[in-house]
Amino acid sequence: MTELLHPRPADPAMPAIKGHLPVLLPVRPPRPVTAAELFTPGTALLLLVLLAWFSVGPVVAQAAGETRTPVALLLLKWTPVLAEGFAFNILISILSMLAGTVLGVGLGVLQVSPNRLLARLAWVVTQFFRNSPWLVLLFYCILLIPFELEILGTTVPFPGWIKAVIGLSLPVMAYMSEFMRGAIQSIPSGQWESAASLGFTRRQTMIEVILPQTVTRVLPSWMNLYAVLTMATPIVSIVGVNEVMALTRAALSSESRTDLLIPMYLYILGWFFLYCYPISRLTRRLERKYAVKL
Amino acid sequence: MKTALTAATALVALMAAGLAAADTLEDIKSAGKIVVGVKQDYRPWGYLDASGKTIGFEIDLAQDVATRLGVELELVPVVASNRMEFLQQGKIDLIIATLGDTEERRKVVGMIEPNYYASGANVLLPKAAGVATWQDLSGKDICALQGSYYNKKVQQDYGANLVAFAGVPEATAALANGSCLGFLYDNTWIESQVASDPQWAEYHMPLPTEQLTPWAIAVPLEDLEGPYGTFMHDVSTEWHKSGFLIERNAANGIAPNPFLQEQHDKLQ
Repeated sequence: MTELLHPRPADPAMPAIKGHLPVLLPVRPPRPVTAAELFTPGTALLLLVLLAWFSVGPVVAQAAGETRTPVALLLLKWTPVLAEGFAFNILISILSMLAGTVLGVGLGVLQVSPNRLLARLAWVVTQFFRNSPWLVLLFYCILLIPFELEILGTTVPFPGWIKAVIGLSLPVMAYMSEFMRGAIQSIPSGQWESAASLGFTRRQTMIEVILPQTVTRVLPSWMNLYAVLTMATPIVSIVGVNEVMALTRAALSSESRTDLLIPMYLYILGWFFLYCYPISRLTRRLERKYAVKL
Repeated sequence: MKTALTAATALVALMAAGLAAADTLEDIKSAGKIVVGVKQDYRPWGYLDASGKTIGFEIDLAQDVATRLGVELELVPVVASNRMEFLQQGKIDLIIATLGDTEERRKVVGMIEPNYYASGANVLLPKAAGVATWQDLSGKDICALQGSYYNKKVQQDYGANLVAFAGVPEATAALANGSCLGFLYDNTWIESQVASDPQWAEYHMPLPTEQLTPWAIAVPLEDLEGPYGTFMHDVSTEWHKSGFLIERNAANGIAPNPFLQEQHDKLQ
């Protein structure tokens, strides 16, 4: 009988009490990450990468005799050059994220504006950039923006990587705009009504009541977007920015070793993984922390 | 009134100076540097060394141009899809980036004559494949590079099944692991590889080179007839005449190129 009433397995920390309902449980802080949680498909992939890296190198070196440098040494040799390129990827991702976030929050707020025309316009802009291929936007930015601008008689250079930042910030802006619209609309209308009854203007309500509450709602999606953006930065190599992918190509071409291709791409994959994986772990924890608890 | 007049005169003088500076050669000299678009993934013509420096045959040429002008050299890495746009935009002053001299491209950029290099299409094949003529490639999978001018003919006339990759590393890796029978590419590159690299010991280049195409240095189209184009024409002629190109070709470990020898002999 008690089993029927309490189908959930009993929590060892919580003695079974008659009439006890999950909704009455106290809110507990998130647990620290356990070992079982750490071993996910993601970490398995990381192990695979490391394994491949260490195994491919020595085998190939043996097969080809003593004259060839082991793959691992070649990777090490190119690491400074590749790291410089990777730093560039990170820089591009951070700057586009900053620009995209600022623009996106503005656009998202406009999407819920009481001014119909303004809201409609913001919606069109959001939908346009959200549904365009990133590479196409990049191409437009690279080829349409001049390489230098004449502002008040002084020439301001406009290097390719800045254009890449602009190109990548457009889709970020659109996604952010959608996140914000969703978050603002998810705030209970009581919040608007209470603020109004306290004499807040719409502007004050938005800035002082609604927007602060959207932060926790948007944060996990925002971090996810950042991880996706970082992994998308190699596409800027196609438009002539010397980031890690372009340099990997150059390094491979310079070595002209057919056995280096797969280990070197795996090596770069590993870097992106190591950078993005902690972000996605943190996102999951934040999601759990801010999830509506029952 | 007088000050206004002086100001107007000064403005006109400034504008005139601005117009005069439309000549790219003057721009380069006054800036003290020439910006050259080069390949960085096309060993041995243009590639990176492990310190991140761009080196190779074409970089030697770019350096020589800068030395002759007495200006500094700035290299900008380019790829086939952006080099001509960069030149049109003014981001670079000169292209020395394995640019094939074709009719269509002559409408877009100023191709400098005489051509500084030439290469044709050939196929790197395993010795065991037993391919003796181009016709033997019919129905076979052949690795190639996206956008190479010779792909079309090999596909249409010889019926080869082309598997196109973005770069040489990808294509050669595919060849080495047996995804395709051979690798269709520049004959000069294949010759240098077969001669120097032990990983190609079991490969050779049995077919006659086809579709020989000259490579050209390119300047902006509007500069082709101007002082800049004339200057580059003189430089290129001098390179052939003095044997500089033959010497640099050998110094970069590239197999001797008959085109260079021919041009050199013609100018003597």
